Amino acid sequence: MSDTKMIEEDKQAVYSGDHCLSCTSCMANCPVMAASLEYRGPKLVAPAHGRMHFSQDDYEDSLDFCSNCKSCDRACPSGVAVSTLNMLMRGEYYRHHPHSKRDDMLAHGERMAKLVSAIPFGSTFANLGTKVSGALGVLSAMGIAGQRSMPSYASKTFYRQFKDIKQPKSDKKVLFYPGCSINYNEPHIGIAFVKVMNHNGYEVLVDEGMNCCGSPLVVTGYLDEAKEHADNNVSRILKWKEQGIPVVVCCTSCSLMLRAEYAELFGEQRMEDAAENIYDAFEFLEELMSKGELKTDFKRVDKKLIYHVPCHLKTQGIGTPAVSVLKQVPGVEVELADAGCCGISGNYGFKKEKYDISMKIGEKLFERIKESTADDVICDCPTCRMQIKHGTQTDPCHPIEILEEAYR
Amino acid sequence: MIKSDVIVIGGGIAGMVAALVSARNGKRVTMLTYGEGTLPLNSGVIDILAYDQQHHYVENPMKAMESLPEEHPYHRIGREAVEEGISFFREVMGANGLPYAGSFDRHLFVPTAVGTLKPTSFAPRSLAGSRVFQGRRKIVVVSVRGLKDFYGSIMLENLKKELGESRSYEVAVVDPNLGGGRDITTQDVARWLESDEGRRNFVAQLRSRGGSDAVFIVPQVLGLKDGELSEELEERLGAPLVETTCLPPSVNGMRVQRILIDALRKAGVNIVENTRVIGAKVKGSKAISVTAEGCARKKEYTAERFILATGGFYSGGITMRDFDKPKEVVFNLPVSFVKGEAGWANDKLFSDQPQGFAKSGIRTDAAMRPLGADGKVVLENVRVCGRMLAGYDFCFEHSGNGVAISSAYKAARE
Repeated sequence: MSDTKMIEEDKQAVYSGDHCLSCTSCMANCPVMAASLEYRGPKLVAPAHGRMHFSQDDYEDSLDFCSNCKSCDRACPSGVAVSTLNMLMRGEYYRHHPHSKRDDMLAHGERMAKLVSAIPFGSTFANLGTKVSGALGVLSAMGIAGQRSMPSYASKTFYRQFKDIKQPKSDKKVLFYPGCSINYNEPHIGIAFVKVMNHNGYEVLVDEGMNCCGSPLVVTGYLDEAKEHADNNVSRILKWKEQGIPVVVCCTSCSLMLRAEYAELFGEQRMEDAAENIYDAFEFLEELMSKGELKTDFKRVDKKLIYHVPCHLKTQGIGTPAVSVLKQVPGVEVELADAGCCGISGNYGFKKEKYDISMKIGEKLFERIKESTADDVICDCPTCRMQIKHGTQTDPCHPIEILEEAYR
Repeated sequence: MIKSDVIVIGGGIAGMVAALVSARNGKRVTMLTYGEGTLPLNSGVIDILAYDQQHHYVENPMKAMESLPEEHPYHRIGREAVEEGISFFREVMGANGLPYAGSFDRHLFVPTAVGTLKPTSFAPRSLAGSRVFQGRRKIVVVSVRGLKDFYGSIMLENLKKELGESRSYEVAVVDPNLGGGRDITTQDVARWLESDEGRRNFVAQLRSRGGSDAVFIVPQVLGLKDGELSEELEERLGAPLVETTCLPPSVNGMRVQRILIDALRKAGVNIVENTRVIGAKVKGSKAISVTAEGCARKKEYTAERFILATGGFYSGGITMRDFDKPKEVVFNLPVSFVKGEAGWANDKLFSDQPQGFAKSGIRTDAAMRPLGADGKVVLENVRVCGRMLAGYDFCFEHSGNGVAISSAYKAARE
């Protein structure tokens, strides 16, 4: 791959540690440091110690505590890709050290889900299986937090349900990337998205050749495998870009991976080129709105909503487009939870030894939601929603479901 | 394209104050931020002016302001806006449990992390040391086991010089028992003190060291939120507690930051974080929109008015890739600066001489509008505030948050 065009060296994330002024803003904003005295913190682990990790076999043990929530990246005034440096080091570590069975399972949700959806009644048995193994303590023995329920599989994947939708043909097209969670676990969110887009005169396409964005692989240290996913997905995104068809994503961790983390982790120019074609669903809708092209024939929806903005959306630097769109719906009120990271950070909170940290980080958010008088909790990220459900016994939904309701 | 009445560029103390004043005046405000701003590194006390241009200490900041050189931003801001702006800030803090002590015509003294006394105009009650020093014979410096960057013995030596040998001085070490394998920070200790058990433990370890004429000097650990915890602990210990300024992260700066962000949310300000503003569209003498980098794509934000609070050299609001060619990165405004290498920097970092580069910035008129070399307004609907302003060296004269808050207030009002 020596002829691959790379991003200019002074713009590559892997070298961004040199911009660190040691100002400690990242430490002051790290949710893991706030919850645990074992993590030495983003500044010491990423830009400081990180320089050495790439040159010798000397690993900082507490690197394992980083959840890749990216609070440090956002806090940094100097543009250091702090958490990406951590993920690169974690990947390097696992090139020379074996993974546990637990990590293998948490990183490869897509592999398991594919297996399950290929078998008749696979989801029923798999869901039963995770429940039973949870009850028998099998998951806990593997190192998975026994307190949590594993996400259950939908009886029919999004891609299968999508085939049954009769869409109006249109010249205006978007490619919808559901990601693993919507495809295998919560297809109704994808269906809601399709309805919203159809209502706005768009035809929705899908590309089953795209695979898992790789986020669970990256955070668990399967960097080379994540690169294979990146190569495949980027090629496909570029193909859609050539046709002028934007790729729209409802899961904010998928979209962050596709539009930022690929290029940061692997440094290839084509990854940046592909990133330009990725949109968060509400970012896309907000743009329609500002061009006066968003349908405003909303039904009244009398709902007070509390919105937990996922860390991985904050990191995208596009604000909170769901708020500006949903505010147009008569009857809808949106308040921001503004209570920091929820603590689950993808598969981090599923790890048995990280469970307590994960719940401690989430405390502030749980309290905020419990005290709120809102009717519903909304959040764009599937694992944040699981964490909120686990910590507050509410049943959060994706903001696109509210918009779909308003168009009904 | 996102439309607002006012766009504030920058989320430091100046940006947040400007956004809050605008929103409370009924404007739809969008604040674009990149990085945390300087509050996690800033003690959050308000210096108005503590040293004149010869580095002589001034007794009365408001009076000394009059004899500052003509180029100084205080002459544009004016006495009234300084008083109103800082009063506004104090009201916001006071309404949220962090009342600021102090006055406009006389200095308070706050202890620093190395035990010197620093003059300032306003400080949260818990930092305002001079409030309680008088008449107290016993100074107890409280150091915390495992806390980085706080050295009780150095503090004690310097405090002796400042407060006089006639008092008794001692160091009390509190052990929060926060083992875990890393250095602990002031935030960790503050979190410990926010727990009932932590406070009980803290009081139990210090009670015997107090007395009716004692004062405890502590690092910035008295709670992450506001000033409530310091009052409770004073009552339980029966003696005043004084927090020092600290090496970063600054707990007090973050209290101020949290209060301001909450107030901004309540006032309906749309905060877009992690977006770097890199340019603007201008038509004649009016700015139409600014361009900000989000993830992988740029986005345009239009408004009637733009407030530039991008923090000067430190925060990237001004860059200088080629010597003698500083650049203001958003509107490409003319930057006023000292030409030539000789006057640029003073290589004796800790001397009593100023740094030439520190006065680099944007010159404005009294409405805080940017001026060109010819003294004419460059962009009518742009206002400049905080560290972006030309003509002052906040380190040298100790005027940082005073200029930031009052210029932000005026920028939002004018």
